[in-house]
Amino acid sequence: MQAALQPFHDAHASGQAWRVAYTLSPVPPHDDPGRLYDFYRASNEHQVEGDIRYALKYSQTSKLPPKESGAWTDIFVIYWRAVGEILRAEEASNQGRMNDGQWINVYDAWKEVANAIIKYISNGALPPWTVMCMYSVGNHLRLFAMKADTQLAQVEPSVTFSTGLQDDVVTGVAKNNKLEEAARVFNKMFALCLGDRNPDINESRKWGVYCMANLLFKTYFKLKAISLSKNVVKSIEAQVDLPMFDLYPQSHKITYRYYVGILAFLQEDYANAEQHLTEAWDHCFPESTKNQELILTYLIPCRLITKHNIPSPALLAAFPHLQNIFGPLVTCIKSGDLSGFDNALLASEPEFVKRRIYLTLERGRDIALRNLLRRVFLAAGFEELKEGQAAKDRMRKTRLPIEHFATALRMGTRGEGSGQVLDDDEVECLLANMIYKGLMKGYISRDHGMVVLNKKGAFPGTGV
Amino acid sequence: MSASTTSKAPVADPKNGNGEAVPEKKPAASLEEDDEFEDFPIEDWSEEETQIPGGNTHLWEESWDDDDTNEDFAVQLREELKKLGQK
Repeated sequence: MQAALQPFHDAHASGQAWRVAYTLSPVPPHDDPGRLYDFYRASNEHQVEGDIRYALKYSQTSKLPPKESGAWTDIFVIYWRAVGEILRAEEASNQGRMNDGQWINVYDAWKEVANAIIKYISNGALPPWTVMCMYSVGNHLRLFAMKADTQLAQVEPSVTFSTGLQDDVVTGVAKNNKLEEAARVFNKMFALCLGDRNPDINESRKWGVYCMANLLFKTYFKLKAISLSKNVVKSIEAQVDLPMFDLYPQSHKITYRYYVGILAFLQEDYANAEQHLTEAWDHCFPESTKNQELILTYLIPCRLITKHNIPSPALLAAFPHLQNIFGPLVTCIKSGDLSGFDNALLASEPEFVKRRIYLTLERGRDIALRNLLRRVFLAAGFEELKEGQAAKDRMRKTRLPIEHFATALRMGTRGEGSGQVLDDDEVECLLANMIYKGLMKGYISRDHGMVVLNKKGAFPGTGV
Repeated sequence: MSASTTSKAPVADPKNGNGEAVPEKKPAASLEEDDEFEDFPIEDWSEEETQIPGGNTHLWEESWDDDDTNEDFAVQLREELKKLGQK
Protein backbone atom coordinates (compact mmCIF):
# COMPACT_ATOMS: atom_id res chain seq x y z
CA MET A 1 0.00 0.00 0.00
CA GLN A 2 2.95 2.26 0.71
CA ALA A 3 4.02 1.92 -2.92
CA ALA A 4 0.48 2.30 -4.22
CA LEU A 5 0.11 5.65 -2.46
CA GLN A 6 3.54 6.93 -3.46
CA PRO A 7 2.09 8.85 -6.46
CA PHE A 8 -0.19 10.68 -4.03
CA HIS A 9 2.75 11.68 -1.83
CA ASP A 10 4.72 12.85 -4.84
CA ALA A 11 1.78 14.81 -6.19
CA HIS A 12 1.04 16.37 -2.83
CA ALA A 13 4.67 17.39 -2.42
CA SER A 14 4.71 18.90 -5.93
CA GLY A 15 1.96 21.30 -4.94
CA GLN A 16 0.04 20.72 -8.15
CA ALA A 17 -3.62 20.21 -7.46
CA TRP A 18 -4.34 18.44 -10.73
CA ARG A 19 -1.69 15.83 -9.98
CA VAL A 20 -3.30 15.12 -6.62
CA ALA A 21 -6.71 14.99 -8.27
CA TYR A 22 -5.29 12.51 -10.71
CA THR A 23 -4.32 10.06 -7.97
CA LEU A 24 -8.04 9.98 -7.11
CA SER A 25 -9.08 9.29 -10.69
CA PRO A 26 -11.24 6.28 -11.51
CA VAL A 27 -9.34 5.97 -14.81
CA PRO A 28 -5.82 4.53 -14.78
CA PRO A 29 -3.06 6.55 -16.45
CA HIS A 30 -1.97 5.64 -19.98
CA ASP A 31 1.50 4.73 -18.84
CA ASP A 32 0.23 2.56 -16.01
CA PRO A 33 -2.98 0.83 -17.08
CA GLY A 34 -2.83 -1.54 -14.13
CA ARG A 35 -2.82 1.17 -11.49
CA LEU A 36 -6.39 0.67 -10.24
CA TYR A 37 -5.91 -3.09 -10.10
CA ASP A 38 -2.61 -2.81 -8.23
CA PHE A 39 -4.10 -0.35 -5.78
CA TYR A 40 -7.10 -2.54 -5.10
CA ARG A 41 -4.97 -5.67 -4.72
CA ALA A 42 -2.69 -3.94 -2.23
CA SER A 43 -5.23 -4.48 0.53
CA ASN A 44 -8.51 -6.12 1.51
CA GLU A 45 -11.75 -5.04 3.12
CA HIS A 46 -10.59 -5.93 6.65
CA GLN A 47 -7.26 -4.22 6.54
CA VAL A 48 -7.72 -1.40 4.08
CA GLU A 49 -8.29 1.30 6.66
CA GLY A 50 -5.24 0.38 8.71
CA ASP A 51 -3.11 -0.04 5.60
CA ILE A 52 -3.99 3.34 4.16
CA ARG A 53 -3.73 5.12 7.51
CA TYR A 54 -0.25 3.69 8.03
CA ALA A 55 0.88 4.49 4.49
CA LEU A 56 -0.27 8.10 4.72
CA LYS A 57 1.07 8.69 8.21
CA TYR A 58 4.50 7.18 7.85
CA SER A 59 5.65 8.35 4.48
CA GLN A 60 9.26 9.38 4.04
CA THR A 61 8.54 11.99 1.40
CA SER A 62 5.55 13.88 2.67
CA LYS A 63 4.48 15.11 6.08
CA LEU A 64 0.77 15.69 6.32
CA PRO A 65 -0.77 17.47 9.29
CA PRO A 66 -2.65 14.90 11.41
CA LYS A 67 -6.07 16.33 10.60
CA GLU A 68 -5.39 16.30 6.86
CA SER A 69 -3.85 12.86 7.05
CA GLY A 70 -7.00 11.56 8.73
CA ALA A 71 -9.17 13.13 6.03
CA TRP A 72 -7.15 11.62 3.18
CA THR A 73 -7.21 8.24 4.93
CA ASP A 74 -10.97 8.26 4.99
CA ILE A 75 -11.20 9.47 1.38
CA PHE A 76 -8.78 6.85 0.09
CA VAL A 77 -10.56 4.04 1.95
CA ILE A 78 -13.82 5.04 0.30
CA TYR A 79 -11.98 5.46 -3.00
CA TRP A 80 -10.53 1.94 -2.57
CA ARG A 81 -14.07 0.53 -2.24
CA ALA A 82 -15.22 2.48 -5.30
CA VAL A 83 -12.24 1.15 -7.27
CA GLY A 84 -13.41 -2.35 -6.33
CA GLU A 85 -16.80 -1.63 -7.88
CA ILE A 86 -15.19 -0.18 -11.00
CA LEU A 87 -13.02 -3.25 -11.47
CA ARG A 88 -16.03 -5.53 -11.01
CA ALA A 89 -18.00 -3.50 -13.54
CA GLU A 90 -15.17 -3.64 -16.05
CA GLU A 91 -14.77 -7.36 -15.57
CA ALA A 92 -18.49 -7.87 -16.09
CA SER A 93 -18.32 -5.70 -19.16
CA ASN A 94 -15.43 -7.75 -20.56
CA GLN A 95 -17.39 -10.91 -20.00
CA GLY A 96 -20.45 -9.44 -21.62
CA ARG A 97 -22.76 -9.61 -18.63
CA MET A 98 -23.64 -6.00 -18.02
CA ASN A 99 -27.17 -6.62 -16.87
CA ASP A 100 -26.86 -6.58 -13.12
CA GLY A 101 -26.65 -2.89 -12.55
CA GLN A 102 -22.88 -2.67 -12.08
CA TRP A 103 -22.72 0.97 -13.11
CA ILE A 104 -25.36 1.78 -10.54
CA ASN A 105 -23.07 0.25 -7.89
CA VAL A 106 -20.13 2.19 -9.27
CA TYR A 107 -22.15 5.40 -9.16
CA ASP A 108 -23.27 4.78 -5.59
CA ALA A 109 -19.74 3.98 -4.45
CA TRP A 110 -18.30 6.99 -6.25
CA LYS A 111 -20.92 9.26 -4.73
CA GLU A 112 -19.45 8.33 -1.36
CA VAL A 113 -16.04 9.56 -2.54
CA ALA A 114 -17.64 12.85 -3.57
CA ASN A 115 -19.49 13.22 -0.28
CA ALA A 116 -16.36 12.46 1.74
CA ILE A 117 -14.34 15.12 -0.04
CA ILE A 118 -17.16 17.64 0.43
CA LYS A 119 -17.25 16.78 4.13
CA TYR A 120 -13.52 17.27 4.68
CA ILE A 121 -13.32 20.45 2.66
CA SER A 122 -16.24 22.03 4.51
CA ASN A 123 -14.89 21.14 7.95
CA GLY A 124 -11.50 22.55 7.06
CA ALA A 125 -9.53 19.32 7.29
CA LEU A 126 -8.47 19.69 3.66
CA PRO A 127 -6.84 22.88 2.37
CA PRO A 128 -8.71 25.10 -0.14
CA TRP A 129 -6.74 24.00 -3.20
CA THR A 130 -8.35 20.56 -2.92
CA VAL A 131 -11.45 22.04 -4.58
CA MET A 132 -9.78 21.01 -7.82
CA CYS A 133 -9.78 17.40 -6.59
CA MET A 134 -13.43 17.87 -5.68
CA TYR A 135 -14.16 19.10 -9.20
CA SER A 136 -12.40 16.12 -10.74
CA VAL A 137 -14.29 13.68 -8.51
CA GLY A 138 -17.51 15.52 -9.36
CA ASN A 139 -16.88 15.35 -13.08
CA HIS A 140 -16.42 11.58 -12.86
CA LEU A 141 -19.57 11.32 -10.76
CA ARG A 142 -21.43 13.02 -13.59
CA LEU A 143 -20.12 10.48 -16.10
CA PHE A 144 -20.92 7.52 -13.83
CA ALA A 145 -24.40 8.93 -13.22
CA MET A 146 -25.08 9.01 -16.96
CA LYS A 147 -23.82 5.44 -17.35
CA ALA A 148 -25.96 4.33 -14.41
CA ASP A 149 -29.03 6.04 -15.87
CA THR A 150 -28.44 4.34 -19.21
CA GLN A 151 -28.21 1.01 -17.43
CA LEU A 152 -31.27 1.74 -15.31
CA ALA A 153 -33.20 2.40 -18.49
CA GLN A 154 -32.16 -1.03 -19.77
CA VAL A 155 -32.61 -3.20 -16.69
CA GLU A 156 -35.79 -1.72 -15.30
CA PRO A 157 -39.14 -2.59 -16.74
CA SER A 158 -40.47 0.13 -18.97
CA VAL A 159 -43.05 1.21 -16.39
CA THR A 160 -41.72 1.64 -12.90
CA PHE A 161 -42.78 3.31 -9.71
CA SER A 162 -40.44 6.13 -9.01
CA THR A 163 -38.61 6.04 -5.73
CA GLY A 164 -39.27 9.60 -4.75
CA LEU A 165 -36.65 11.17 -6.96
CA GLN A 166 -39.25 12.50 -9.30
CA ASP A 167 -42.56 14.17 -8.95
CA ASP A 168 -44.26 11.76 -11.29
CA VAL A 169 -45.65 8.73 -9.54
CA VAL A 170 -45.11 6.51 -12.52
CA THR A 171 -42.40 7.11 -15.05
CA GLY A 172 -42.93 5.73 -18.49
CA VAL A 173 -39.27 5.43 -19.25
CA ALA A 174 -36.41 5.48 -16.81
CA LYS A 175 -35.30 9.06 -16.53
CA ASN A 176 -32.11 10.66 -15.36
CA ASN A 177 -32.59 9.72 -11.72
CA LYS A 178 -28.92 9.36 -10.88
CA LEU A 179 -27.90 12.48 -12.75
CA GLU A 180 -30.57 14.48 -10.93
CA GLU A 181 -29.21 13.15 -7.69
CA ALA A 182 -25.66 14.00 -8.75
CA ALA A 183 -26.80 17.56 -9.56
CA ARG A 184 -27.64 18.01 -5.90
CA VAL A 185 -24.13 16.88 -4.97
CA PHE A 186 -22.66 19.39 -7.46
CA ASN A 187 -24.80 22.12 -5.98
CA LYS A 188 -23.27 21.43 -2.58
CA MET A 189 -19.81 21.62 -4.12
CA PHE A 190 -20.67 24.87 -5.90
CA ALA A 191 -22.01 26.44 -2.71
CA LEU A 192 -18.90 25.31 -0.85
CA CYS A 193 -16.73 27.24 -3.33
CA LEU A 194 -18.93 30.29 -3.71
CA GLY A 195 -19.57 30.79 -0.01
CA ASP A 196 -15.98 30.56 1.23
CA ARG A 197 -15.41 33.44 3.63
CA ASN A 198 -11.64 33.21 3.87
CA PRO A 199 -10.42 36.79 3.32
CA ASP A 200 -7.07 35.57 1.99
CA ILE A 201 -7.88 35.09 -1.67
CA ASN A 202 -4.85 32.86 -2.18
CA GLU A 203 -6.28 30.43 0.30
CA SER A 204 -9.80 30.61 -1.04
CA ARG A 205 -12.12 27.98 -2.40
CA LYS A 206 -13.53 30.69 -4.65
CA TRP A 207 -11.01 29.60 -7.29
CA GLY A 208 -13.27 26.61 -7.83
CA VAL A 209 -16.40 28.64 -8.55
CA TYR A 210 -16.29 28.65 -12.34
CA CYS A 211 -15.27 25.05 -12.88
CA MET A 212 -18.03 23.90 -10.52
CA ALA A 213 -20.47 26.17 -12.36
CA ASN A 214 -19.41 24.51 -15.60
CA LEU A 215 -20.07 21.10 -14.08
CA LEU A 216 -23.57 22.27 -13.15
CA PHE A 217 -24.15 23.68 -16.66
CA LYS A 218 -23.20 20.38 -18.29
CA THR A 219 -25.49 18.54 -15.92
CA TYR A 220 -28.43 20.91 -16.27
CA PHE A 221 -28.15 21.02 -20.05
CA LYS A 222 -28.23 17.24 -20.11
CA LEU A 223 -31.27 17.31 -17.82
CA LYS A 224 -32.78 20.00 -20.06
CA ALA A 225 -33.16 22.25 -17.02
CA ILE A 226 -32.01 25.49 -18.61
CA SER A 227 -33.65 27.71 -15.99
CA LEU A 228 -31.53 26.13 -13.27
CA SER A 229 -28.43 27.12 -15.25
CA LYS A 230 -29.61 30.72 -15.15
CA ASN A 231 -29.76 30.49 -11.36
CA VAL A 232 -26.08 29.53 -11.34
CA VAL A 233 -25.21 32.63 -13.36
CA LYS A 234 -27.34 34.80 -11.10
CA SER A 235 -25.70 33.58 -7.93
CA ILE A 236 -22.24 34.16 -9.40
CA GLU A 237 -23.21 37.67 -10.48
CA ALA A 238 -24.59 38.37 -7.02
CA GLN A 239 -21.29 37.37 -5.40
CA VAL A 240 -19.34 40.60 -5.35
CA ASP A 241 -16.09 39.40 -3.79
CA LEU A 242 -14.97 36.84 -6.37
CA PRO A 243 -11.44 37.14 -7.79
CA MET A 244 -11.25 38.96 -11.14
CA PHE A 245 -12.61 36.75 -13.90
CA ASP A 246 -9.44 37.25 -15.95
CA LEU A 247 -7.32 35.57 -13.28
CA TYR A 248 -9.01 32.19 -13.62
CA PRO A 249 -7.47 29.47 -15.79
CA GLN A 250 -8.46 29.56 -19.46
CA SER A 251 -10.29 26.23 -19.37
CA HIS A 252 -12.61 27.53 -16.63
CA LYS A 253 -13.22 30.83 -18.42
CA ILE A 254 -13.79 29.48 -21.93
CA THR A 255 -16.20 26.79 -20.79
CA TYR A 256 -18.09 29.29 -18.64
CA ARG A 257 -18.34 31.78 -21.50
CA TYR A 258 -19.60 29.08 -23.86
CA TYR A 259 -22.48 28.17 -21.57
CA VAL A 260 -23.33 31.74 -20.56
CA GLY A 261 -23.23 32.61 -24.27
CA ILE A 262 -25.72 29.85 -25.08
CA LEU A 263 -27.96 30.93 -22.22
CA ALA A 264 -28.01 34.48 -23.58
CA PHE A 265 -28.59 33.10 -27.07
CA LEU A 266 -31.60 31.11 -25.89
CA GLN A 267 -33.02 34.26 -24.32
CA GLU A 268 -32.51 36.02 -27.65
CA ASP A 269 -30.04 38.38 -26.04
CA TYR A 270 -27.87 38.13 -29.13
CA ALA A 271 -25.55 41.04 -28.34
CA ASN A 272 -24.56 39.46 -25.04
CA ALA A 273 -24.34 36.01 -26.59
CA GLU A 274 -22.07 37.32 -29.32
CA GLN A 275 -19.75 38.91 -26.79
CA HIS A 276 -19.36 35.75 -24.71
CA LEU A 277 -19.07 33.42 -27.68
CA THR A 278 -16.54 35.66 -29.43
CA GLU A 279 -14.39 35.69 -26.29
CA ALA A 280 -14.67 31.91 -26.07
CA TRP A 281 -13.75 31.57 -29.75
CA ASP A 282 -10.79 33.95 -29.55
CA HIS A 283 -9.18 32.18 -26.59
CA CYS A 284 -10.19 28.59 -27.20
CA PHE A 285 -7.40 26.02 -27.08
CA PRO A 286 -6.55 25.51 -30.78
CA GLU A 287 -6.34 21.73 -30.58
CA SER A 288 -9.82 21.44 -29.10
CA THR A 289 -11.52 21.56 -32.47
CA LYS A 290 -14.75 19.99 -31.23
CA ASN A 291 -15.12 22.87 -28.80
CA GLN A 292 -14.33 25.40 -31.51
CA GLU A 293 -17.01 23.83 -33.65
CA LEU A 294 -19.51 24.02 -30.81
CA ILE A 295 -18.76 27.70 -30.24
CA LEU A 296 -19.23 28.44 -33.94
CA THR A 297 -22.50 26.52 -34.04
CA TYR A 298 -23.97 29.31 -31.93
CA LEU A 299 -21.74 32.18 -33.02
CA ILE A 300 -22.70 31.83 -36.71
CA PRO A 301 -26.47 32.29 -36.18
CA CYS A 302 -25.68 34.95 -33.61
CA ARG A 303 -23.64 37.10 -35.98
CA LEU A 304 -26.21 36.65 -38.70
CA ILE A 305 -28.64 38.50 -36.43
CA THR A 306 -26.35 41.06 -34.82
CA LYS A 307 -24.05 41.96 -37.71
CA HIS A 308 -25.73 40.41 -40.75
CA ASN A 309 -22.43 38.61 -41.24
CA ILE A 310 -21.83 35.17 -42.61
CA PRO A 311 -18.83 32.89 -42.08
CA SER A 312 -16.19 33.07 -44.78
CA PRO A 313 -15.58 30.03 -47.00
CA ALA A 314 -12.19 29.62 -45.31
CA LEU A 315 -13.76 29.42 -41.87
CA LEU A 316 -16.36 26.87 -42.91
CA ALA A 317 -13.76 24.83 -44.80
CA ALA A 318 -11.95 24.19 -41.53
CA PHE A 319 -15.05 22.55 -40.06
CA PRO A 320 -16.57 20.03 -42.49
CA HIS A 321 -19.65 19.42 -40.38
CA LEU A 322 -20.42 23.13 -40.16
CA GLN A 323 -19.78 23.41 -43.89
CA ASN A 324 -22.39 20.71 -44.35
CA ILE A 325 -25.13 22.32 -42.32
CA PHE A 326 -24.40 26.04 -42.76
CA GLY A 327 -22.74 26.09 -46.18
CA PRO A 328 -25.87 25.85 -48.36
CA LEU A 329 -27.70 28.27 -46.09
CA VAL A 330 -25.14 31.05 -46.31
CA THR A 331 -24.75 30.60 -50.07
CA CYS A 332 -28.48 31.16 -50.48
CA ILE A 333 -28.47 34.13 -48.12
CA LYS A 334 -25.70 35.72 -50.13
CA SER A 335 -27.37 35.22 -53.48
CA GLY A 336 -30.85 36.09 -52.22
CA ASP A 337 -32.18 32.69 -53.21
CA LEU A 338 -35.29 32.33 -51.07
CA SER A 339 -36.37 28.88 -52.26
CA GLY A 340 -32.84 27.62 -51.80
CA PHE A 341 -32.80 29.09 -48.31
CA ASP A 342 -36.05 27.37 -47.39
CA ASN A 343 -34.75 24.07 -48.72
CA ALA A 344 -31.44 24.37 -46.93
CA LEU A 345 -33.21 25.16 -43.68
CA LEU A 346 -35.48 22.17 -44.18
CA ALA A 347 -32.61 19.84 -45.07
CA SER A 348 -30.84 20.37 -41.75
CA GLU A 349 -33.95 21.04 -39.70
CA PRO A 350 -33.52 18.12 -37.25
CA GLU A 351 -30.00 19.21 -36.40
CA PHE A 352 -30.94 22.90 -36.16
CA VAL A 353 -33.84 22.10 -33.85
CA LYS A 354 -31.69 19.87 -31.68
CA ARG A 355 -29.11 22.62 -31.32
CA ARG A 356 -31.89 25.14 -30.63
CA ILE A 357 -30.75 27.39 -33.46
CA TYR A 358 -33.59 26.81 -35.93
CA LEU A 359 -35.68 29.84 -34.99
CA THR A 360 -32.66 32.11 -35.05
CA LEU A 361 -31.53 30.87 -38.46
CA GLU A 362 -35.05 31.29 -39.78
CA ARG A 363 -34.63 35.00 -39.21
CA GLY A 364 -31.78 34.87 -41.71
CA ARG A 365 -34.46 34.72 -44.40
CA ASP A 366 -34.86 38.46 -43.99
CA ILE A 367 -31.25 38.89 -44.97
CA ALA A 368 -31.71 36.69 -48.01
CA LEU A 369 -34.77 38.75 -48.94
CA ARG A 370 -32.87 41.98 -48.42
CA ASN A 371 -30.17 40.73 -50.78
CA LEU A 372 -32.75 39.78 -53.40
CA LEU A 373 -34.36 43.23 -53.28
CA ARG A 374 -30.94 44.81 -53.35
CA ARG A 375 -30.28 43.04 -56.62
CA VAL A 376 -33.37 44.61 -58.16
CA PHE A 377 -31.98 47.96 -57.09
CA LEU A 378 -28.58 47.20 -58.63
CA ALA A 379 -30.15 45.85 -61.82
CA ALA A 380 -32.07 49.09 -62.30
CA GLY A 381 -28.81 50.85 -63.02
CA PHE A 382 -28.10 54.55 -62.99
CA GLU A 383 -29.81 57.78 -63.84
CA GLU A 384 -28.46 59.48 -66.91
CA LEU A 385 -25.58 61.79 -66.24
CA LYS A 386 -26.48 65.43 -65.92
CA GLU A 387 -24.44 68.04 -67.59
CA GLY A 388 -21.09 68.54 -65.94
CA GLN A 389 -21.59 65.51 -63.62
CA ALA A 390 -18.61 63.20 -63.23
CA ALA A 391 -19.18 59.51 -63.90
CA LYS A 392 -18.26 58.60 -60.37
CA ASP A 393 -21.01 60.86 -59.03
CA ARG A 394 -23.79 59.33 -61.03
CA MET A 395 -26.87 58.35 -59.09
CA ARG A 396 -28.60 55.00 -59.01
CA LYS A 397 -32.22 54.93 -60.02
CA THR A 398 -34.20 55.13 -56.80
CA ARG A 399 -37.74 55.12 -58.15
CA LEU A 400 -38.55 51.54 -59.05
CA PRO A 401 -41.88 49.96 -60.01
CA ILE A 402 -43.26 47.55 -57.40
CA GLU A 403 -43.70 45.17 -60.31
CA HIS A 404 -39.92 44.82 -60.58
CA PHE A 405 -39.68 43.67 -57.00
CA ALA A 406 -42.64 41.36 -57.51
CA THR A 407 -40.91 39.78 -60.49
CA ALA A 408 -37.73 39.23 -58.52
CA LEU A 409 -39.65 37.78 -55.59
CA ARG A 410 -41.50 35.40 -57.84
CA MET A 411 -38.22 34.31 -59.38
CA GLY A 412 -36.65 33.93 -55.94
CA THR A 413 -39.44 31.82 -54.53
CA ARG A 414 -40.21 29.59 -57.44
CA GLY A 415 -39.06 26.03 -57.76
CA GLU A 416 -39.24 23.11 -55.40
CA GLY A 417 -39.85 23.60 -51.75
CA SER A 418 -41.27 27.01 -51.19
CA GLY A 419 -44.71 26.35 -52.64
CA GLN A 420 -45.44 30.03 -52.49
CA VAL A 421 -47.51 31.98 -54.92
CA LEU A 422 -47.16 35.65 -54.15
CA ASP A 423 -49.90 38.08 -54.99
CA ASP A 424 -49.28 41.79 -55.31
CA ASP A 425 -50.54 42.64 -51.85
CA GLU A 426 -48.13 40.17 -50.33
CA VAL A 427 -45.27 41.70 -52.25
CA GLU A 428 -46.13 45.11 -50.87
CA CYS A 429 -46.41 43.61 -47.42
CA LEU A 430 -42.94 42.08 -47.68
CA LEU A 431 -41.52 45.38 -48.90
CA ALA A 432 -43.20 47.28 -46.08
CA ASN A 433 -41.77 44.78 -43.63
CA MET A 434 -38.26 45.28 -44.95
CA ILE A 435 -38.68 49.03 -44.54
CA TYR A 436 -40.11 48.58 -41.05
CA LYS A 437 -37.14 46.40 -40.04
CA GLY A 438 -34.72 49.01 -41.32
CA LEU A 439 -33.20 46.65 -43.86
CA MET A 440 -34.38 48.89 -46.68
CA LYS A 441 -34.85 52.65 -46.58
CA GLY A 442 -37.60 54.33 -48.51
CA TYR A 443 -41.36 54.30 -48.95
CA ILE A 444 -44.00 52.75 -51.13
CA SER A 445 -45.99 55.08 -53.31
CA ARG A 446 -49.15 53.05 -53.84
CA ASP A 447 -50.79 55.56 -56.16
CA HIS A 448 -47.97 55.28 -58.63
CA GLY A 449 -47.15 51.63 -57.96
CA MET A 450 -43.62 52.66 -57.19
CA VAL A 451 -41.05 52.10 -54.50
CA VAL A 452 -39.07 55.24 -53.75
CA LEU A 453 -35.75 54.42 -52.14
CA ASN A 454 -33.38 56.67 -50.25
CA LYS A 455 -30.83 58.28 -52.50
CA LYS A 456 -28.18 57.56 -49.94
CA GLY A 457 -28.09 54.17 -48.26
CA ALA A 458 -31.14 52.45 -49.69
CA PHE A 459 -29.90 49.21 -48.16
CA PRO A 460 -28.04 50.30 -45.03
CA GLY A 461 -24.70 48.70 -44.37
CA THR A 462 -24.37 47.16 -47.82
CA GLY A 463 -22.55 49.96 -49.59
CA VAL A 464 -25.52 51.14 -51.66
CA MET B 1 -2.13 38.00 -7.95
CA SER B 2 -3.13 34.64 -9.20
CA ALA B 3 -3.96 31.46 -7.44
CA SER B 4 -0.88 29.83 -8.88
CA THR B 5 1.25 31.81 -6.46
CA THR B 6 0.00 29.85 -3.49
CA SER B 7 1.98 26.96 -2.18
CA LYS B 8 -0.68 24.54 -3.28
CA ALA B 9 -1.87 26.06 -6.47
CA PRO B 10 -5.48 25.21 -7.16
CA VAL B 11 -4.64 25.56 -10.81
CA ALA B 12 -1.97 23.77 -12.72
CA ASP B 13 0.63 26.36 -13.48
CA PRO B 14 1.21 26.21 -17.22
CA LYS B 15 4.86 27.09 -16.79
CA ASN B 16 5.59 24.28 -14.36
CA GLY B 17 3.39 21.91 -16.27
CA ASN B 18 4.92 22.87 -19.60
CA GLY B 19 1.50 22.51 -21.06
CA GLU B 20 1.66 18.88 -20.05
CA ALA B 21 -1.58 17.11 -20.66
CA VAL B 22 -3.82 16.73 -17.67
CA PRO B 23 -4.40 13.04 -18.05
CA GLU B 24 -8.10 13.16 -17.71
CA LYS B 25 -9.84 11.23 -20.40
CA LYS B 26 -13.55 10.98 -20.51
CA PRO B 27 -14.49 7.35 -20.49
CA ALA B 28 -18.04 7.92 -21.62
CA ALA B 29 -17.68 9.85 -24.83
CA SER B 30 -20.53 8.00 -26.47
CA LEU B 31 -22.95 9.08 -23.78
CA GLU B 32 -22.33 12.74 -24.12
CA GLU B 33 -24.81 15.15 -25.49
CA ASP B 34 -23.76 16.51 -28.81
CA ASP B 35 -23.51 20.09 -27.68
CA GLU B 36 -21.63 19.30 -24.51
CA PHE B 37 -18.42 21.21 -24.23
CA GLU B 38 -15.46 18.88 -23.92
CA ASP B 39 -12.90 19.10 -21.14
CA PHE B 40 -9.78 20.82 -22.42
CA PRO B 41 -6.64 18.64 -22.40
CA ILE B 42 -4.86 21.24 -20.28
CA GLU B 43 -6.20 23.58 -17.65
CA ASP B 44 -4.53 26.82 -18.63
CA TRP B 45 -2.68 28.21 -21.60
CA SER B 46 -1.16 31.49 -22.65
CA GLU B 47 -2.52 34.06 -25.05
CA GLU B 48 0.19 33.17 -27.57
CA GLU B 49 -1.03 29.60 -27.70
CA THR B 50 -4.50 30.68 -28.71
CA GLN B 51 -3.34 32.49 -31.80
CA ILE B 52 -4.87 30.82 -34.78
CA PRO B 53 -2.53 30.62 -37.77
CA GLY B 54 -3.58 33.31 -40.17
CA GLY B 55 -5.14 35.28 -37.37
CA ASN B 56 -8.74 36.06 -36.72
CA THR B 57 -9.25 38.10 -39.84
CA HIS B 58 -11.18 36.89 -42.87
CA LEU B 59 -13.34 34.68 -40.70
CA TRP B 60 -16.48 36.64 -41.45
CA GLU B 61 -17.73 38.37 -44.52
CA GLU B 62 -20.62 40.51 -45.59
CA SER B 63 -23.78 38.65 -46.39
CA TRP B 64 -24.23 40.43 -49.72
CA ASP B 65 -22.39 40.10 -52.93
CA ASP B 66 -21.70 42.69 -55.59
CA ASP B 67 -19.71 40.52 -57.88
CA ASP B 68 -22.66 38.80 -59.46
CA THR B 69 -22.89 40.37 -62.87
CA ASN B 70 -22.38 37.09 -64.67
CA GLU B 71 -24.31 34.91 -62.34
CA ASP B 72 -27.31 33.06 -63.71
CA PHE B 73 -29.84 34.59 -61.42
CA ALA B 74 -28.65 38.14 -61.99
CA VAL B 75 -28.75 37.64 -65.74
CA GLN B 76 -32.21 36.12 -65.60
CA LEU B 77 -33.42 38.94 -63.40
CA ARG B 78 -32.18 41.53 -65.85
CA GLU B 79 -33.91 39.71 -68.68
CA GLU B 80 -37.18 39.57 -66.79
CA LEU B 81 -37.00 43.23 -65.88
CA LYS B 82 -36.22 44.13 -69.47
CA LYS B 83 -39.37 42.30 -70.58
CA LEU B 84 -41.35 44.37 -68.09
CA GLY B 85 -39.89 47.54 -69.46
CA GLN B 86 -40.95 46.66 -73.00
CA LYS B 87 -44.58 46.12 -72.09
